[in-house]
Amino acid sequence: MPPAAEVVVTGIGMVTPLGATAAESAAAWVAGTSARRAPVAELAGTSLAHLQAAVRAPLDAAARLGSRKMLKFMSESAVLGCVAAHEAAEAAGVRGRFNPGRVGLYSGIGMAGASLEDALPVITASLGASGRVESRIMGERGLAAANPLMSFKILPNMPACLVSIIEGLRGPNLIFTPWEGQAGAALLEGWKAVASGEVDCAVCGAADNPAHPAILVHLARSGRLPPGESVAAAAAYLVLERADTAGRDNRKVWAQLTSVGLEACDDEPADPLAGRMGRSFAAAPAVLLALACCLSVGAPPVSVVGVDRQRFSAEVRSRS
Amino acid sequence: MRRVAVTGFGAVSPIGVGREAFWAALAAGASGIGRITRFDCSTFAVQLAGEVRGSLDLPAPVRAVAERDPKVGFAFAAAAEALAAAGVARLAPASLLHLGTSLESFDLGALVFDERRDFRSVVEGRDLLQVPLDTAARLVAEAFGRPRRSLTNVSACAASAQAIGHGFAAVRSGEVELVLAGGFDSMINPLGVGGFQLLGALSTENDRGASACRPFDASRGGAVLGEGAAMLVLEPLEKARAEGRTVLAEVLGYGSTLDAHGLSAPDPEGRGAERAMRAALADAGLAPEAIGHINAHGTGTRLNDEVEAAAIRRVFAGTWQRIPVSATKSVTGHLIGAAGAIEAGACLLALVKGLFPPNPWLRKVAPGCELDHVTGTTARRFDGEHVLSNSFGFGGQNASLIFRRSHA
Repeated sequence: MPPAAEVVVTGIGMVTPLGATAAESAAAWVAGTSARRAPVAELAGTSLAHLQAAVRAPLDAAARLGSRKMLKFMSESAVLGCVAAHEAAEAAGVRGRFNPGRVGLYSGIGMAGASLEDALPVITASLGASGRVESRIMGERGLAAANPLMSFKILPNMPACLVSIIEGLRGPNLIFTPWEGQAGAALLEGWKAVASGEVDCAVCGAADNPAHPAILVHLARSGRLPPGESVAAAAAYLVLERADTAGRDNRKVWAQLTSVGLEACDDEPADPLAGRMGRSFAAAPAVLLALACCLSVGAPPVSVVGVDRQRFSAEVRSRS
Repeated sequence: MRRVAVTGFGAVSPIGVGREAFWAALAAGASGIGRITRFDCSTFAVQLAGEVRGSLDLPAPVRAVAERDPKVGFAFAAAAEALAAAGVARLAPASLLHLGTSLESFDLGALVFDERRDFRSVVEGRDLLQVPLDTAARLVAEAFGRPRRSLTNVSACAASAQAIGHGFAAVRSGEVELVLAGGFDSMINPLGVGGFQLLGALSTENDRGASACRPFDASRGGAVLGEGAAMLVLEPLEKARAEGRTVLAEVLGYGSTLDAHGLSAPDPEGRGAERAMRAALADAGLAPEAIGHINAHGTGTRLNDEVEAAAIRRVFAGTWQRIPVSATKSVTGHLIGAAGAIEAGACLLALVKGLFPPNPWLRKVAPGCELDHVTGTTARRFDGEHVLSNSFGFGGQNASLIFRRSHA
């Protein structure tokens, strides 16, 4: 369906290995910086010790979010997603400008993984003599070793729900998982919702932490991480609204989104960020789109083919 | 805007596999809840769930995955039934596949620890530890044709209602010509049951057996997990009629909201739930008086039931005393990511069969839960036009769907 209204970007937030904010990430991209990679400590001494992850930019999440309390409910993906969404929402002045019920939230999230700090005590306390988990032992003593907040950190809808609580968003919502294509759907749905008038504003983006040791092992074993490639934890969120509301409120417009697409395809997975940043899977479409909106020149093409064989693409008309 | 028909429905549930078995049990108030058999739960505080009984007819590649992650098999079987019922042999490129679910299964059986008992112990194994959540959509697409887009939605208990609502909007707007939408889930494994046990949301009344889940009852003691899948085929109404398909019902409206309140408890005033129902009514172009039946989210937890009942009374302020309310989790258990879809199916079949399914264990309505509940074990006659189905997710995501009787 053709868009009924001009959709513009008035807020951008990013946390990538290149920078802890949108400005830092974009500046590093333009400068040609590549992320520093390092081995994953939990894989040391194993046959997967060669796998590398990008080193996250220094980030004081409590200071960025203005609250330490919520962090105890958050996985690493949730931390990245909430910080990026908060940066975008603050930049666009979402709170106070819109009826919260008319602000939609459209999110992508990568594979779920409890932090090993939370998961290993439960699992190792549930092992039988054979070294395997036994449910009887889990019921007896494994669950007693659990962080009672662990479920909040595992459930894949929680990062988006945390965004909704922190930013006060009450409108339509969708959360897609776990690869690039599904996360691209979050951006597509946000764009469509604003263009069609279903919402006045859409906060849309994605977060992923493929550097989580268990997820990294999965990616390597399943062949989804090609030899020689590294991974990167990242998140990016954008605030979309109609050009007329942005103009009415005299907001800075970063770019216009003239088209957003998602189609099944037969192409091999391809991520323009992989070489300099590492594969961030679900986060990649949002990071690409955010970079393109930040940069009038030098941005990577907004086109990514996910491991789910869906191509996400967007056309951006820069206003910066 | 096009009108949207439901032309196929498939169900795999704790009370029956296949649409007719599911309905027969639902109409009779027959419970699928019993002691967990899937793993040794003897040391767990929670020992009850609604398990899918019997084996499914699955192709070998799906069966292999389902042995590690049962919900993938449920999804495939429900999708096959729905597509067959609609007479759809292949998903065309102008179609959309949208499935809702909750959480990846973590294969504990693949973990073998050595004496170090740290993460490095399990790195050298060859088995995959997790089954990615898009696996069901991928297997359905491999078997039935690749759609234009395949989406997997993880909005907790609202996920599959959202999938149906989103699919409905895509057909209505002309974006796609056919949608296979629904949900699939199973949390009946040690980590799933254990995780919910830690949250304190599940009934520990293990001696209650089949009657452990009692939504809106004064004696209710919590939710009971269920598992299964349900799928709907959605198409433009005119096209479905022109091609001679059986139209089970029309999808008429959809509302989606966020509580933005708290992670584990709903907004105590139910404002998010209320806004979802009002949004669905507005989307359908209906006044509240038009609704003749509600399938409540009705989990059987203290807080949720009261909040939902209050929200229903506010939305249907002049008529709630005359709107029969079913709560089918009383017999299926809570299918989490598949709950919205299986309950949408209950609404469709209520329209097709002209009956309201009962809430069989409701004896004494709890203070604050006053509604026109369908009690007993016999379905009541229903000749109304519109039904509303509620799904409210853990984390504050709410979805309401409205269906209309087909007169074709």
